[in-house]
Amino acid sequence: MPRLREWLEIRIGLDELVHSQLTDYRVAKNINFFYTLGIVALVAFVFQAFTGILLMFYYIPDEKDAFQSIQFIMNHVPYGWLFRLMHVMGANLMVAVVLLHMGSVFSLGSYKKPRELTWVVGALLLLTVLGFTLSGYLLPWSQLSFWATTVVTDIPSAFPLVGGLISKILRGSENVSGVTLNRFFALHVAFFPFLFSSLFALHVFLVRRIGISAPPSDSQEPEEWKEFHHESHPDGPPFYPDFVSKEAFMVIIYLIVMFAIISMAPALFIPHDAGIAADPLNTPEHIRPEWYFLAPYEMLKLIPNRFLGIALQVVLVVVFIFWPFMDKSEKTNILKRPLMLATFLVTIMVYLGLTVWGSR
Amino acid sequence: MRSLLTVICLLCLVSVSEGAWTELLQKEFPKTPWAQRPRVERTVCIDCHDSDLMKPEYKAIPGEWRKNWHYRNGVSCQDCHGGDPKDAARSMTPQSGFLGVQKPKEIPEFCGKCHLGIKENYLESGHGKALMTTGRGPNCVLCHHSHDIQKASLEIINPKLCGICHTYDRAREMKAALLLTEAKINEINGNLQTLKAGLIDTQDEEETLFRTQAEYRTLFHSVDVNLVKARTAEFSKMLATLSQQVGKGFKELKFRQDFSTFILLIFVGLGIMVFLWGRRKE
Repeated sequence: MPRLREWLEIRIGLDELVHSQLTDYRVAKNINFFYTLGIVALVAFVFQAFTGILLMFYYIPDEKDAFQSIQFIMNHVPYGWLFRLMHVMGANLMVAVVLLHMGSVFSLGSYKKPRELTWVVGALLLLTVLGFTLSGYLLPWSQLSFWATTVVTDIPSAFPLVGGLISKILRGSENVSGVTLNRFFALHVAFFPFLFSSLFALHVFLVRRIGISAPPSDSQEPEEWKEFHHESHPDGPPFYPDFVSKEAFMVIIYLIVMFAIISMAPALFIPHDAGIAADPLNTPEHIRPEWYFLAPYEMLKLIPNRFLGIALQVVLVVVFIFWPFMDKSEKTNILKRPLMLATFLVTIMVYLGLTVWGSR
Repeated sequence: MRSLLTVICLLCLVSVSEGAWTELLQKEFPKTPWAQRPRVERTVCIDCHDSDLMKPEYKAIPGEWRKNWHYRNGVSCQDCHGGDPKDAARSMTPQSGFLGVQKPKEIPEFCGKCHLGIKENYLESGHGKALMTTGRGPNCVLCHHSHDIQKASLEIINPKLCGICHTYDRAREMKAALLLTEAKINEINGNLQTLKAGLIDTQDEEETLFRTQAEYRTLFHSVDVNLVKARTAEFSKMLATLSQQVGKGFKELKFRQDFSTFILLIFVGLGIMVFLWGRRKE
């Protein structure tokens, strides 16, 4: 071990790297658990990649065999059930973690100057995660996945001129078919992992380059940012071990939640229709997307004009991505901004309300 | 589709040979649960019967049908009555094979289009013989009703219904003979649902149970207590084998729960250690 350390020291300056990035790197004094959600999302992604690769050993991306291969994984491959459940639970928990992360960054005002780009990349990461889940949802080729994908890929067709074309490009044919399955599989295992890794690398680079932000406090006014400099916290605790222990704790909480669901409610995210092979001639009674898409789905149903409903959602997504450029206020503490606080709470309540409404 | 082709192929193959092709068909039929069929919501039959133009006694039919067991399993008007469900003009013509309200003697044949085994047992029974010879015996509709037909159960054998024609004594004896097997079938069915909820594959067991249950139910219609008693042992053996398979499923379910709980506990322990480590550093 010491010889390996010495070998690395000579080649990459290991000691200096550890000091500058871990032990001597300081974070803000009042940093809290909300700041660990980013690393939890990264670990969630690593788990998804690991379990996904194991599933790929047995999964067959073909409309004739996809469903049966999933059944084979669940019932005949040693511990296949465990890895598939970890993948399914992980997908849902990862969305929850990223949503929580974005929510906490928003409420802590960490998206403000000079971190606008970090927010934009983070928002794109959230969309990538949703792309991951959407493309992965079709792969089991069950009634649920087939019809949910039929509904989702039909959404762009509401747009005049190009809508139909976008739908057709997504599906690869007039309707969801084996071609769609191949496309979604390619997106899920090649395109989205590449996109996510690239965006994540950029996100981490921006976080470390600018410096981890500090939670807003009453005693400290946000500094005026006129030229680039690394935001440091010389009086704060070291990144390692203080902050790393917090991160490790939250990662373990994530795994505890995952395994609590696997052991106590394994079918939580795998309803009845997910256990029936896709049948294009048999439409199930209630087609419902995953919980995180329920709110936008319900919103679309509430707005009578389909085009207006989708256009409104596109506008909301654009506003969400570019929010830091629209919010000009210099105050970071949301508690001191009643209007912003009210908007934030109302948005969360509407999202939760529509989700609950949609799940009925 | 594959199952349908199998049935057609079987029909073709066995019809050229002498003998029991119906037996083969009966065995094949229960392998193809109707539950996989899409539910039919709109046909010209339903539209017309739902409309205000219809006489009150016929207007109630779609409402009754929507609550019945056939509807839940994708069986629609034309499956029993023939006719063309897409063309109002042809919907009730003889050319489209339409069959309207059936006379009592015609009913066994009408329902027996699909329920082949049951029809055979019924026609050989005292009930069937009485109907075919005198025209006054009980037919399918008397016990099961027509448009508000529900899933068959032993509750159909009751003093009120049987008492319309005869005393309940023999029927009671018959019901007692069927009761244990029926209870076992219900128990296995409940267990299979529990396993399904735990994501254990039960497809083979469900198909076997469906087949056994369908075969067993043809016995009801023989109205022959001795035959039922004689074959009960055979069904009990089949159900015992099925119970063993279900038991294996429960063993697997328990292993999965125990194993994931074990990993959960490891993470809980790790969490406590990391938390204490963090506190000490602070």
